[in-house]
Amino acid sequence: MKAPPLNPDAAAGVHAHRAKKDLLAPLGLPSKMPSDWRTKALDKFGELLQKRRSLSLYLDICVRCGACADKCPFFLGTGDPNNMPVARAELLRKVYRRYFTTAGKLAGRLAAADELTDKVLDQWYTYFYQCSECRRCAVFCPFGVDTAEITMAAREIMASVGVATKYVTEVIKKVHEIGNNLGIPEAAWRDSCQFLEEELKEETGRDIKLPVNQEGAEVLLVPPSADAFANADTMMGYAKFFYAAGVSWTTSTYASEAGNFGLFFNYEQLQKVNRRIVDAARQLKVKRLVMGECGHAWRAAQAFTDTLNGPLDFLEKPCPEHICEFAARFIREGRLKLDKSANDGLIVTYHDPCNLARAGGLTEEPREILRAVVNDFREMPADTIREKTFCCGAGGGLLTDELMETRMKGAKPRVEAFRTTGAEYLATPCSICKAQFPEVFKHYGVKAEVVGVMDLLSKAIVI
Amino acid sequence: MTLLLPALLYLSAAVFLGGMGWRLSKWLRTPVPLKIVLTPAPKTTLGVAQRLAWELFGFRSLFKADPSLWIPSWLFHVSLVFLAVGHLGGLVIPKFAEATLGLNENQFEQLAQISGGAIGILAVTALLWLLVRRLAAERVRWISTFSDYFALALLLLILATGNQMRFMGGLDIVQARQFVSGWLMLHPVAPPNNPMFAVHVLLVCALLIYIPFSKLVHIGGATLFSPTLNQRNDPRDRRHIGPWNAVPAAAKSK
Repeated sequence: MKAPPLNPDAAAGVHAHRAKKDLLAPLGLPSKMPSDWRTKALDKFGELLQKRRSLSLYLDICVRCGACADKCPFFLGTGDPNNMPVARAELLRKVYRRYFTTAGKLAGRLAAADELTDKVLDQWYTYFYQCSECRRCAVFCPFGVDTAEITMAAREIMASVGVATKYVTEVIKKVHEIGNNLGIPEAAWRDSCQFLEEELKEETGRDIKLPVNQEGAEVLLVPPSADAFANADTMMGYAKFFYAAGVSWTTSTYASEAGNFGLFFNYEQLQKVNRRIVDAARQLKVKRLVMGECGHAWRAAQAFTDTLNGPLDFLEKPCPEHICEFAARFIREGRLKLDKSANDGLIVTYHDPCNLARAGGLTEEPREILRAVVNDFREMPADTIREKTFCCGAGGGLLTDELMETRMKGAKPRVEAFRTTGAEYLATPCSICKAQFPEVFKHYGVKAEVVGVMDLLSKAIVI
Repeated sequence: MTLLLPALLYLSAAVFLGGMGWRLSKWLRTPVPLKIVLTPAPKTTLGVAQRLAWELFGFRSLFKADPSLWIPSWLFHVSLVFLAVGHLGGLVIPKFAEATLGLNENQFEQLAQISGGAIGILAVTALLWLLVRRLAAERVRWISTFSDYFALALLLLILATGNQMRFMGGLDIVQARQFVSGWLMLHPVAPPNNPMFAVHVLLVCALLIYIPFSKLVHIGGATLFSPTLNQRNDPRDRRHIGPWNAVPAAAKSK
């Protein structure tokens, strides 16, 4: 997509609702901004600089070459120059220079250093919550500077002085209190699973189970909680697949959520939220841990679990495994009977969720499945798929109504790429994408549906 | 007075080496708590070495981003390497260079003039290209700071004074060689009696001092330190332990 002309402050007015005391206190954060917030924020900044090479290195070495400038979907969509990755990072970098570098302390503005003021904090809150941590910019950076690392650090610093979004903190609170992001209690989870069993019975005539908290099952499946409600076809897809594959499985009501909003917030929560799935796997004495269709959950689970809450030596490798890897393995080994024609009439394309492609190394297995079960599968243009995929526009903790304007603009490059295919179905294994795209299609007047990869697989499975 | 220039050059070199050592050791000492590699990524150390080599010598990611930026950028960096080698071979160890290349003094002189001249021009052209791009492209102009122009200006002036001496004559090449090799061998001698030479050296001093405290610090091998590029993609095969996760969190609670 061609870069738009610069439109300064075009997105300056879009803010997420702020979290208040009721959400901050349970996460151990100050209920309101302390009067010495500046000192506290800079202390936190200093601490993170000591703890993360990514932060300290990436703040040091950017040469402002501009390679990333036109790669961010939120810049392409809004034209706001502060949404260029390099400019977004400069919001943090200018404060870094002022307080943590020799040149910045001595030369001040001449060295592009700036004080941490209320205005700067306001800029942080605005623009670090218009970054979906999708990491597309990093792919094109000659040093691999990862704006997601910068965004995460900025959010963590803000959180330490009680500046956080209602959406992200609310989700984390629900995960701890109830077990999942949507706040579905155990009874409702069981009801839903039972209901889906009845649906499957009607559809297939078989007793296909959706086991809950079943000790000793081979697989603990951790789906995004939306699969039990909004994306029921995906949930039934898992069930039908495991049934056909002859693998015993279960979900856990303690860890009925794959998503990990700690990734969008701070290290402490990233670790705590991640911990639930390991504990659940132990309690249920399963052999394998399999993650459902969720993008950032995959990043958090596959890249961080062993580090944060390992060792995972009580589980079989690869641990965790993605449901698409698991299913693709069965297809490759010829252990599933498939009838492609079940999906005839569907023109399907695949959207790589950012965290699967750029942080989880998972681009081929979903395609393998789709090619095995769909006759008319089409790719979007090469510079918009795999590691160059465009964010759907609402990852990274942005999937909230008050950010709708930014979400829709951020989705523009993805929609333009989608339109070139002529596809009517967009398959993607990510709950956030699945929640965002219907809004996007409505907004841009696109007639298309969003489906999960397992939905299409399940239709083609012959039992 | 005659030793002022070599003394300044020693001082700048000390600041450069000390400054770079300090910056690099800071990066090295700072832990990498998590696996944050950009995928697709190699699973083996050899694969990582290949990936880094492509980045370091080929600027692969930059090429992916924008070939029209890659061309001047790559050409500039390559010509810098050649200029450094040329200064060393031409000014410090001409005898050795002549012997290695199997040339007599005359032929070597000619080679040095032609190749050095060509690369000097290439470097200036590439830098001007980068400067024009910075000024002309709206997005890049918006993100540019004073220090970006300062670095470009400093490098351009160093190249311009060097080219001036080469193409417009006036430099006693024998004296210049003695100055540089004497300086390197810690037996400093007086510089050639040429104001442009003094300006050239003084600008190099400024650059040496400036590098560790500015974005130019990236020449210390930034790519090699970058966790998104230098990690193996093996979080499920090999446990990556962050410094404060050495005691497993799960075990702690039990």
